[in-house]
Amino acid sequence: MKRLMTLALVVCLAATASACGGSKSSKSGGKTAVTISNEQGTTWSCGFNPFNSDVNFLSFGTVYEELTFVNGLKSGQTTDWLASSYAWSNSNKTLTVTIRPGVKWSDGKPLTAGDVLFTFNLLKKNEGLDLNAAWSVLKDVTRNGNKITFDFKGSAVPYFYYIAAQTPIVPEHIWSTIKNPVTYKDTHPVGTGPFKMASCSPQVIKYTKNAGYWQKGKPTIETVYYPAFTSNDPANQQLASGKAQWGSQFIPNIKSYYVSKSADNHYWFPPTVNVSIFINLQDPILKDVAVRKAMAYAIDRKKVSEIGEYGYEPPANQTGIVTPTFSSWLDPSLAKQYTYNPQKAIQTLQAAGYKKKGNLFYTPEGKPLSFRILNIGGYSDWVASVQVIQKQLAAVGIKITPENLSSTTYDADNYNGKFQLSYNGNESGGPAPYYELRQVLYSKNSAPIGKPAATNWERYENPATDRLIEQYASTADPATQHGIVRKLEQVMVNEVPVIPVTEGVDWYQYNTRDLKGWVTPDNPYAQPAAYVNPDWGVVLLNLKPKSAS
Amino acid sequence: MRFVLRRLGFFVVTLWAAITLNFLIPRLMPGNAALSMMSRYKGHINPNAMHALEVAFGIKTHESLVHAYFTYIGNIARLHFGISLTFFPDTVTHQVLQALPWTLALVGTTTILAFILGTLIGLVAAWRRGGVLDGVLPPIFVITSAFPYFWLALLAIWLFSIKLGWFAESGGYDVTTTVAWSWAFVSDAFRHSVLPAVTILVTSIGGWILTMRNNTITVLAEDYVRMARAKGLSPWRIMWHYAGRNAILPNLTGFAMSLGFVVSGAILVEFVFNYPGVGWMFLQSVENQDYALMQALFLMITVAVLIAILAADGATAILDPRTRDRS
Repeated sequence: MKRLMTLALVVCLAATASACGGSKSSKSGGKTAVTISNEQGTTWSCGFNPFNSDVNFLSFGTVYEELTFVNGLKSGQTTDWLASSYAWSNSNKTLTVTIRPGVKWSDGKPLTAGDVLFTFNLLKKNEGLDLNAAWSVLKDVTRNGNKITFDFKGSAVPYFYYIAAQTPIVPEHIWSTIKNPVTYKDTHPVGTGPFKMASCSPQVIKYTKNAGYWQKGKPTIETVYYPAFTSNDPANQQLASGKAQWGSQFIPNIKSYYVSKSADNHYWFPPTVNVSIFINLQDPILKDVAVRKAMAYAIDRKKVSEIGEYGYEPPANQTGIVTPTFSSWLDPSLAKQYTYNPQKAIQTLQAAGYKKKGNLFYTPEGKPLSFRILNIGGYSDWVASVQVIQKQLAAVGIKITPENLSSTTYDADNYNGKFQLSYNGNESGGPAPYYELRQVLYSKNSAPIGKPAATNWERYENPATDRLIEQYASTADPATQHGIVRKLEQVMVNEVPVIPVTEGVDWYQYNTRDLKGWVTPDNPYAQPAAYVNPDWGVVLLNLKPKSAS
Repeated sequence: MRFVLRRLGFFVVTLWAAITLNFLIPRLMPGNAALSMMSRYKGHINPNAMHALEVAFGIKTHESLVHAYFTYIGNIARLHFGISLTFFPDTVTHQVLQALPWTLALVGTTTILAFILGTLIGLVAAWRRGGVLDGVLPPIFVITSAFPYFWLALLAIWLFSIKLGWFAESGGYDVTTTVAWSWAFVSDAFRHSVLPAVTILVTSIGGWILTMRNNTITVLAEDYVRMARAKGLSPWRIMWHYAGRNAILPNLTGFAMSLGFVVSGAILVEFVFNYPGVGWMFLQSVENQDYALMQALFLMITVAVLIAILAADGATAILDPRTRDRS
């Protein structure tokens, strides 16, 4: 888990006072090894089924691979992977990919288009494996020699990401013999990827280099250790002491706890998705856009970022475009709206007929602007952020009362729409801003109150917006796509269905003592957090021992 | 005989009640496993995946509670605990058996050690009341017992592992060690267990000392002890057979209970030290709405505690004839 737990703070205080010793060498027996420190809050089950949502981050990217790699830090730039090329046709309803020749499974058998066809038919037959709901948009998949043709029910450009980049390809000669692939553990995965799973215990997984990997001369890393951490502190300690080279979690006070320990310790937190206040649009008071606009003016996002998030998560803007990651999509004139302006907030409420009595605004019917806001009690950074927001809203005359819940209660209430306000965000959007805007604004991701909504928790529904979202799916032209996204930004600004407050980041720490080739702000070739798949496989593929040229 | 039957009857009724509660309580919690999984999935998943997850986990929202209850009882009778959702698709039995040895070794050993040491110190301290031992050890350990466990553990990690580097700071063994019955592995595992074990010991021993000491002091004032002294028995014999045997009774019941709770692990210990035991697994199962794992662990704890109480009753009956006098 990436969030700061109360306990983490305590160990940080204890550990910052100490000068941690020099780091141990990451080399064992002359071969280069990487140790990952990514607290997942779980011990390993030693299953590697790439279609099992619980463990696929352990096999997808290193052992299993995708057809095309899509870089979420470069607005979805594609790199051909198991597919050597792809093309859209039939007004973006048909996608044809050519399978790369010369790729071998780690048991020596060649990869063929038949394996790809088999994989997608496997998802069709077993609903429980279809994590990306590919068959909700696919009509048919056919093979012609080394080519695979995907026929979609409608125009499906954004689905390329789910089909080509997020679906691991599995070997037919192994998976066709499995009786129930949904409950298949896959303890010894056979894939095309750069690494093989060598051994696994509940505490640590060891991966070794796949010598027959299809990208010649790669990987140069011999061994990857992936220990299981059930809490943040030991994982952070391993990073600070240099025992682990690659970290992917929240470290409180990172400068003194981590960076100061060694000149080789670095971090970068690229923002990828918004953390927002979701507003229940069916609430009798909150359905008035004036109230929502007033709140958007009244929140000083910069303060929230600095106090609540240690400045790690930068302030967001009302358009919903995450900057600087997706800056090219941003309409600069819109981004400047709703800069912190409490006076404007008060004027907006007064103009809409709300009256201030004492410290609080009231509706014309005499109801106070007082709302409950859901939050996760275990995320102390979010709790701190909401406290800041609470003060800022109180200053203009809107009262919010935080309810810090356990994550299960919180999720259930969010999905079912049982809230007035909720501090929330998907932990990942997609390779372009469209994906997150679609998650938040598309009516098909909504549901009636009491029924679980997938991502449109605030229950925003507008046919005109739906049309924009569907229109984007039918075009592969970047200029048209940018135009549509700008219109969606307009929706975010005019209707304020949610209020983006800060920008969620990929947590990423790295040590350059023995290794080079890390993802850096100058070379963002993949999302750098070890929990992002298949990106983590690409990162491991690019790491090199420092001695090598 | 009546005593034994009565105790057994009590055991069976309690077991049934516990099993039934064990079934009902988790189901009163909000949310379901697919929801928990969605939130764990970092959002890197298509929104419609919820359906796929529900299919994969076999979440049947339509199954009636009564039907589910009888299926559950039947499965328990056959020791069939099902598939864990947290470690999907692994079986609950396999996962629990993997974690249990770590917990038994760590918490079991420390509980027994704490009981033995605490009782001995308490007995001797009371026997030599006002002596050096009595003046030093009980106050120290009573104070350490009052420390918040995680604070003491973090302090120990900071001092002994980060500052001095004597012991490992987390985990059950070093990640580069191969798991096997080899000297290298066992010594490594031992090195990793020292800090958690010592911190548990230091925070739990005070209770045993205090009760044992106070009981012994009360017992020492009894007439039969004076009688024994008058008879001229050796102090050693009086301490063990007259004072100790009677004073240990309340401690013994407490010990049996805590032995039963050994299988529940020590959540804080395992959390702070990243130790691969059952306690943490327990927490995890609750967070993930993993009914199967939760129920198996609850059941294991209940049965262990009930058996321990049964054993304590037996031991008390042997040590103290008054308790079996009714027939």
